[in-house]
Amino acid sequence: MVEKVLSLHRKHRIAVAWAQDINTISAIHKAVNYGLADAVLIGQSAEIKNICRRAGINHELFTLVDSEDEVNASAEAVRLTRSGEADITMKGLVGTDKFLKAVMDKSSGLMNPGAVLSYVCAIELPAYHKLLFITDPAVIPVPSLEQKIEMVKYAVEMAGRFGINKPKTALISASEKPGRHFKSSEDYKIMCSMVKKGEITDCIMDGPLDIFLACDKKSVDIKGINTPVNGDADILLFPSLESSNPFYKGLMLFAQGELAGLLRGTENPVIVMSRSESEKSKFYCIALACLMA
Amino acid sequence: MVLKSMSDLKAIVEGKPGKKLVLAAAQDQHSLGAVLRAWKDQIIEPIFIGDKEGIQNICYAEGYDITGLRIIHEPDIDKSVEMSVRMLSSKQADILMKGKVGTSSLLRSVLNKEWGLRTGNLLSHIALFEVDTYHKLIAVTDVAMNIAPNLRDKISIVNNSVSLLHKLGYIMPKVAVLGAVEMVNENMEATLHAALLSKMNQREQIRNCIIDGPLAFDNAVSLESAQHKGIKSEVAGDTDLLLMPDIEVGNVLYKSLVFFAKAKVASIILGAQVPIVLTSRSDSEQAKYDSILLAAAASK
Repeated sequence: MVEKVLSLHRKHRIAVAWAQDINTISAIHKAVNYGLADAVLIGQSAEIKNICRRAGINHELFTLVDSEDEVNASAEAVRLTRSGEADITMKGLVGTDKFLKAVMDKSSGLMNPGAVLSYVCAIELPAYHKLLFITDPAVIPVPSLEQKIEMVKYAVEMAGRFGINKPKTALISASEKPGRHFKSSEDYKIMCSMVKKGEITDCIMDGPLDIFLACDKKSVDIKGINTPVNGDADILLFPSLESSNPFYKGLMLFAQGELAGLLRGTENPVIVMSRSESEKSKFYCIALACLMA
Repeated sequence: MVLKSMSDLKAIVEGKPGKKLVLAAAQDQHSLGAVLRAWKDQIIEPIFIGDKEGIQNICYAEGYDITGLRIIHEPDIDKSVEMSVRMLSSKQADILMKGKVGTSSLLRSVLNKEWGLRTGNLLSHIALFEVDTYHKLIAVTDVAMNIAPNLRDKISIVNNSVSLLHKLGYIMPKVAVLGAVEMVNENMEATLHAALLSKMNQREQIRNCIIDGPLAFDNAVSLESAQHKGIKSEVAGDTDLLLMPDIEVGNVLYKSLVFFAKAKVASIILGAQVPIVLTSRSDSEQAKYDSILLAAAASK
């Protein structure tokens, strides 16, 4: 992915809200060193300089903007992005809720009018033969049909930036058999028929499918199921945050996965990362934002 | 005691007299191999009930030696299942295993009021995983049986699972109630259930285990993640049992651990008079063998 971004030869400017955090600064530093981006670090400048010094990072590589609290820092990061002085916004040490409030503010925020705010991440796994795009592991607790449709569009668009045309999209459930117990079944049926009618485009879709049928050709053969996704999924759409969140965290912890994720529905890429993610994943998030900018 | 691997599970049953396992509708090429292997390893004493000719044909084709195997001929599938279940309810055997019969018809027989294996407890599924990147086995429930358990169901599921873990030698298993987040959120029912279960545990309404939740997956299995977030919990990072919010969450997690994390898995049904081995066609032979092992260890 990083190579893909570097090959675009475009340099982006990242505004970081409340930036006095070593993990954030070291990920940004790596991106600057790779020539992916410049950065504006908004926060307590003195503290940022201290952190840089302790980590042996030259703070003059970044533009520093002083700000006294996290709310103002978030507003400033969003303002810089709106005014075109930056093209990517990133959350530093500020709480996610405060940061998103600035991003979602109707008059001064970064949302596309009427857009659904959602999250897509790309996961690299040793046990899978390609990148897997997951939606939504972070924002929408239980997506409605309309939200699911938008989520698919976002994921298809992201896969497209990686050069994947007509990504195979699996609508995930516990079983391939639709059932009245599963509220997602009805939505999935409608979505598949929307693909047939051309109302959802640019992807191959099937669901409900379980993880095996979505990602393992052998399981498809054993069960003798005829599915266009055929154990070769690019995109997995989950019925709930509760199912997607342990899925991706399980892969990070137990299957040596690395991820890059991004908020969708905003005019510009917005990076929101969990504090406990690895530095590699944090760097990947920045690279992904550059790819999507 | 805490089990670190499937070999620890094997150590529990090794050297003990083999438990009697009844394979219902035994003419099933997907389960018969694992049963015969467990027989050879003296883990169980199998009794095959089903179509004798069908069983012999499969064994012949696969090259299995079945000299001395007890086979009861009953070509009719429903009858063979009933016969199997009756054998267990009359205490002539210790473990029930599904052969070439649908899950729903097997369970219907298990739940038969006259001659079934009811105990009054909810039936629930438990899966024990061995993952390289976790320091011990981790049990996950319920990934296959109860679709959207309510609070009362979850209490039964925890009790079923904890009594299994006790049989396996655990003293105070650590139970993490999984949520997408670790904060109680009134819009996410699972987090409310988790908070209630934790409190009921503190008040000793649910005993013999330590329950904490809601915990997000990373906090449940990684102390580092929990510390990052400043979560103080006896369970975080050291979970023995993970309670799932519902089957969609559980099933996705189960399958991704098996497929992406190359986990070894053993699973059985709890809550009946005897442990039930109910594997699916797409489970590996090893998983079926390990499930038999778990059933034997659970059968005391």
